[in-house]
Amino acid sequence: MGYFRQVAVVAFKDLRAELRTKEAINASLAFSIVILLLFSFAFDPSEDTMREISGGLLWIVFAFAGTLTLNRSFARELPNDCLDALIAAPLPASALFLGKCLANYALVLAVELVSLPVFGIFYNVRWARQFPELLLVLLLGTWALTVIGTIFSALTVNIKLREVMLPMLTYPILIPALMSAMQLTTALVGGTAINSDTIDSLKMLIGFDIVFTAVSLALVETVLVG
Amino acid sequence: MSAVAVEGVWKFYGDYPALRDVRLEAAPGSCLALIGRNGAGKTTLLRIVAGFSKAQRGKIKIHGNDPRSTETRRQLGFLGHGIAVYDELSALENLTLYGKLYALADPRKSALEWLERTGLERVRNGLVREFSRGMRQRLAVARAFLHEPSVLLLDEPFTALDDRAIAVLQRLLREALAAGKTIVMSTHQLREALELATHVALISRGQLAFHGQCTPEMAADPGYIYAQYGEV
Amino acid sequence: MRDALFSFFGSGALVAMAAAVVALVASVVFLRTRNFLYDALALASTEAGFVLLAAALAAGVLWSHTAAGVWWAWDTRLTSALVCGLVYAAYLMLRRAIEEPTERATSAAVVSVFAFLDAPLASIAIAWWRAHRTLPPEGGPPPGWGALASGNALAMLVLGAALTVILLRREERRRAQDARRRAALTL
Repeated sequence: MGYFRQVAVVAFKDLRAELRTKEAINASLAFSIVILLLFSFAFDPSEDTMREISGGLLWIVFAFAGTLTLNRSFARELPNDCLDALIAAPLPASALFLGKCLANYALVLAVELVSLPVFGIFYNVRWARQFPELLLVLLLGTWALTVIGTIFSALTVNIKLREVMLPMLTYPILIPALMSAMQLTTALVGGTAINSDTIDSLKMLIGFDIVFTAVSLALVETVLVG
Repeated sequence: MSAVAVEGVWKFYGDYPALRDVRLEAAPGSCLALIGRNGAGKTTLLRIVAGFSKAQRGKIKIHGNDPRSTETRRQLGFLGHGIAVYDELSALENLTLYGKLYALADPRKSALEWLERTGLERVRNGLVREFSRGMRQRLAVARAFLHEPSVLLLDEPFTALDDRAIAVLQRLLREALAAGKTIVMSTHQLREALELATHVALISRGQLAFHGQCTPEMAADPGYIYAQYGEV
Repeated sequence: MRDALFSFFGSGALVAMAAAVVALVASVVFLRTRNFLYDALALASTEAGFVLLAAALAAGVLWSHTAAGVWWAWDTRLTSALVCGLVYAAYLMLRRAIEEPTERATSAAVVSVFAFLDAPLASIAIAWWRAHRTLPPEGGPPPGWGALASGNALAMLVLGAALTVILLRREERRRAQDARRRAALTL
């Protein structure tokens, strides 16, 4: 029980600090709306085109906008050497990691849930026809994004070029998860429920989440302490 | 049993040994001052003792235990160069946060108590971002002492402190020593440090050049140790 | 010609996979022992595998051109090889970005574990991708492929091993050099 209380303490600390400055979430939100707008200039958002590309478009936006939030996750501990104090505190590194993950998860999901209706308006798409299943894909895909983003945010925190390195590391690793989420989202936004064509993608997403959550939890002490 | 034991510690950056076979001990109630030039390895050693990085060879024992064990971490207080409090949170929120992380019985009560002891109770709801330098430093001191650690690790504690903060810190350190707690500090400010130090260790190029009691000659003339045991 | 190119691609990719296994084992052993020899081995085998994979991809592109008339047809195997290459490229870039050897070795070893777990997931995801194509030869190997491929694979394996040894020595030299530089900078 104490473990989860510590996770919650870290998560609420991050959320409180972020909501007070809104540095990451504002940038992330503005960025995602700008990309959505730019893409609508790139091609004619007709119904047929949208049926083909909605998943790809949305997840590219989510991945790019999410990176802005994830970059801040451990970087926000740097200015006053707060990371040292967190590492020194008597909580397992995995609890620290999970707390940060949950805070990032909430922030990235919030941006996504605002972006979705904006996407619907800009592209004139009725995106919520399969909402429960879409939400499931959103939750699973965003967890993949968050868990990989958070562990690599910890790994790159002391690197000078961390803003560049984080996407360099996360996007290739995220390919299986993003591919699956894109296919599922395209089908669901188009109004097709998850069927035998797309169920494999859902399995991949779940498998990815499980594998990389487990590895991250196992390796985070090594990442933070060496 | 010694409160802090450094047992033959080696730290490598690749093939380069930054620390070579360092052996130190600090008994409960003693204050060990780590001195040496910039880059000699004082901070590296202190960070290994605190559990922030790992020695490739040798061991650190805090009251006989591994520094990364949860129980040991509860016993350790670290005060480094950074103040380790969050600019976006208030003084009280910061201390309450650490109180919760250290699983104190009543985090808010301990936080208020330490705000009072460091003279910050009036500004407890102010955001740290708006604090003056001196106030930030006193808050950092409160943060390090909040969980009543039995072993205090201080990295250059007197550097960059204003007079008021130095006074607060020295008083707290004296009280801690009197209560049988252990202090290990790295320092350049020999005069301030040697007032408190019971023992001195000189580190030179990653090696221990001297380790022993702090004698009256040392306290009288800070250059004495370097002249006697240090490299020219 | 087409089959020769394919066997060149296939055997290159196969040896690159073997290199990835060596890199994973070396990385895990490094994390356990902190012996820099294993870090150097992980780096050397990743670099050697990366070079072979790049050569294999070049052959794969030529093969794609002879088989389908386009340079890049999103063939399942080629795409998987490319994605795995990208993942390991990230490993190599991370190494360049970290200056301190101990921190570099630890971080790189962690990334190597992630990369190794990611590669099969990426290959499966690509195989499940509905837009994927499989260019001929698909399914079973073409007649006479066995001898060609095993000869190719053997040659590639020898090349990869030689490359690994050379790169391992280079990394050991570099680390020694770094240590001398650090020693010279100490007062």
